[in-house]
Amino acid sequence: MKEINDIIQAYDQAILEHKSMALATVVKVEGSSYRRPGARMLVTDDGMLTGAISGGCLEGDALRKALLAISQQKNKLVSYDTTDENDNKLGVQLGCNGIVHILFEPINTNLENHPIALLKQVVSTRSNAVLFTLFSFQSNRNEHIGTCVLYQNDTVLFNSTIGKILPFDKLAYTAQQRQDSFFENIVHENKSITVFTEYMEPAPHLVIVGAGNDTIPLCEMAAILGWKITIVDGRSGHASLTRFSKASNILVCKADEVLQHITIDIRTAFVLMTHNYNYDIRLLQGLLVSEESTYIGVLGPKKKLQKMYDEIEQFGITITDAQKLKVFGPVGLEIGAETSEEIALSVLAEVKAAFASKNGQFLRDKTEPIHDRSL
Amino acid sequence: MPKTIYLDNNATTPVDPRVLTEMLPYFSEKFGNPASRSHVYGWESEEAVDIAKENIATLIGAHPHEIVFTSGATEAINLAIKGLLETQNRKNHIITTQTEHKAVLDVCAKLESQAIEITYLPVNSGGTIDIKELEKAIKPNTGLICILYANNETGVIQPIAQIGSIAKQNKIPFFTDATQAVGKIPVQVTTDGIDMLCMSAHKLYGPKGVGVLFIRKNQSDFNITAQIEGGGHQLGLRSGTLNVPGIVGLGEACKIAGVELEIEQNRLSTLRNQFERALVEMDGITINGNNSPRLPHCTNITIEGIDGEKFILNLGSKIAFSQSSACTSATIQPSHVLLAMGLQKDAIQNSFRFSFGRFNTEKEVEQAILLLKQTITQHRNQ
Repeated sequence: MKEINDIIQAYDQAILEHKSMALATVVKVEGSSYRRPGARMLVTDDGMLTGAISGGCLEGDALRKALLAISQQKNKLVSYDTTDENDNKLGVQLGCNGIVHILFEPINTNLENHPIALLKQVVSTRSNAVLFTLFSFQSNRNEHIGTCVLYQNDTVLFNSTIGKILPFDKLAYTAQQRQDSFFENIVHENKSITVFTEYMEPAPHLVIVGAGNDTIPLCEMAAILGWKITIVDGRSGHASLTRFSKASNILVCKADEVLQHITIDIRTAFVLMTHNYNYDIRLLQGLLVSEESTYIGVLGPKKKLQKMYDEIEQFGITITDAQKLKVFGPVGLEIGAETSEEIALSVLAEVKAAFASKNGQFLRDKTEPIHDRSL
Repeated sequence: MPKTIYLDNNATTPVDPRVLTEMLPYFSEKFGNPASRSHVYGWESEEAVDIAKENIATLIGAHPHEIVFTSGATEAINLAIKGLLETQNRKNHIITTQTEHKAVLDVCAKLESQAIEITYLPVNSGGTIDIKELEKAIKPNTGLICILYANNETGVIQPIAQIGSIAKQNKIPFFTDATQAVGKIPVQVTTDGIDMLCMSAHKLYGPKGVGVLFIRKNQSDFNITAQIEGGGHQLGLRSGTLNVPGIVGLGEACKIAGVELEIEQNRLSTLRNQFERALVEMDGITINGNNSPRLPHCTNITIEGIDGEKFILNLGSKIAFSQSSACTSATIQPSHVLLAMGLQKDAIQNSFRFSFGRFNTEKEVEQAILLLKQTITQHRNQ
C-alpha cells in the first residue's frame, strides 16, 4: 500500500504541474522476478519514476515504453524476458530467470475512474478491495483494456464498458474468499483475455502501546514501511506528535478506554510496550476477548506473560487456546535484537510475517521457490 | 490486352495490400531509427520492429530474440554458413545437397576454394535425400548440415524433422533455407530440430529487400560471427540501420500467413491438383517430384514434343511462369535440381515451374490450362 500511496501523491503533484502520466503495472510473471504481479510504478512525462516494477533492471527501458505509451495514448503490454542470457538489450545481465509482463497505461484524467482514481478509492478506506486488470497476449501490443474494475465493500467502479459484460461479481467473491489474487483466462469476442484479479489488503495498522523512548524507532521504521501508526499511552508528555511525528494518530487515555477509540480490522496489530505492567495487562485482557484482534505482541519474557494470563484468569475469565494463538509474547523474531532499533526490526518483521502467514525462517532453508508460483 | 496470369509465385509475390497499409506510415510519419534510444521516434520504430519479431517468431515457433534481420535470404545464408564456419576451425566440413538454391551452392563453392570440405548429398528421382546417406556422410569434423526445406524449382520437401534429429544426435548445427516453405506450410523450428533458418519477405507477400536469419538462442554448441560490421546493431550480428518499413511488412506478412495458412494451403493445392490433372490428360506430360512430399502451391512439369525456349516466349505475354529456376534463367543452363533428379538435358529444357499464389483465382487457373493446352498442341503440330 505504501507504493500506491506514493504513486497517488506523485499523481496529485503531477496534476498540479500539468504533467501527463502513465502507470506501469507488473501484470504477470513467469519464473522468478524481483517484483510480483501488482507492483506498480508511475511515470510522468518528464521522466520521474515513483514506485518500482523491478529491482532496477527494467526501469530504464520501462521509462521509454511509458513515455511512448503517453505519446501514443494507448495501453501497451511489454514482456521482458530475463531468461535469455544473450540478451544485452536491457544493458544488464539480469540473471533473474523469469519473464515479466508489464502493462503501461497512459492516464486519461478526463475519465472518472481512470486507474489512479481506482487506486485512490482502494486506499480511501481500510477495507479489502479487489481490482481487475485485463490484458491479452493475443492482442496487438497496444490493445489492452487495463485497470478497469474495482470492488470494495458495496462500491463497484468501472473504467470500461467491458465491466458490465464479464463475470466480475463471481471473481471478486472468489478473491475475497481465498484472500488471494489469481489469474483467469476469459474468451471475449473471440479473443482470450487474461483477467488479473488482485486481492488488495490495507496497509498494516500498528498500534504501539507505550510511548517511551524505546518505541520511537519502532514508529519511525513502521513509517518507512508505509504502515498506519497509532501511539497509545496514558502519559501525555510521552505520547506527543513532537516525539512521534510519523504517527497518524496519538491516543492518550486509560488502558480501559483504549479499545473504544480504535477500530480493529484484520490488518491491525497491537504491541504492548508500555513497561507498565498494569496498563499492559488491562489492554491485553480487552484484546484477548475482542473478536476482531488477530495480533497482540507483548514485550517481555514468557514468565511475565504467564503471570498476566494467571491474573486475568483470577478475575474469572477463561482464556481459550484460540485467544492465546493471537498473542505473540515475547514479541518479535529471534534475531539477537538488543537495542531499541533492533527490537523494532524484530517486531516489525514478526508482524509482517504473521500477516503474511509466514514463519520468518531463513529463505535459504526453504526448499521451494520464494514466491508461490500460482501467481 | 488481358492481364498476364501470374503463375510464378516461387520467384516472387506481390505485396499484399494489407501488408502495404501497415508499412506505409513507416516511410513517412513514423520514420524514426530504432537505434535512437532517446526519443519517441526511435521508440516507436523499435516497438514496430519488436512487434514484427513477435509475428515472425510466432509463425515459425521461435522466440523473438532469435530473429536477426537481413536484406534477404541470400544474406541470411551467407551470415549463417560463413558466420558459423569462421568460428570453428576444426569443424571444417559441411554436408549439403546437390539441389540447394544457388545462394547456398555459391557460398559452398566459395568456401571450398578456402579449403572447406563440402559433401553434396545426391537426391533420388523424387528429389529427396536418403537419410542413410546423410548419416554416412557425417564425419568427426562435420561442422554444419545445411539442407533446403523445400525446393524452389520442384516444391519437393526434404525430411526436415528427421534431419534435425540426426543433427542433434551428432551435435552438429542444422541450418535450413526455408525461403519457399515459411508461410506456405507449417514450419516449426523446435519440432523440426532446426538451429538456424532463413526466410525472405517477398516470397510470402511481403516486400523485397528484407529477410531473416533465425538463430536458436542459448545454444552452447555453436556461435556466429557477423559478416557485416559497423555499429553493432542486432547484438552485433548484423550491423546497419534496420529497414523498418520492410521489417514491418515482413511481420505483417507472417501474421497474415499464419492466420490463413491452413485455408490457403488447401485452396492452392486444390488449384494445383486441378491444373496438374488437366495437363496430364494430354500425352507426354510428366510431373517432377510428384511422388514426394511437395509444397501445395507449385508444380514442375516436363512437356514432351515442344521447343522449351520458343514455348515459354510464345506464352510470355499471357502467362508468367518459369523455365527451370528463375535465378538461373539469365543463363541457359539446365537446372541442377532436375539434373540431380536424373532428368535428361533435353527434358529439362522442356520443364517448367508453375507456382500459384494468394491472388490467383480459379478462373485464372482455368484460363491458363486452356492456353497451355492450346499452345502445347500448336507446338506439337508444327
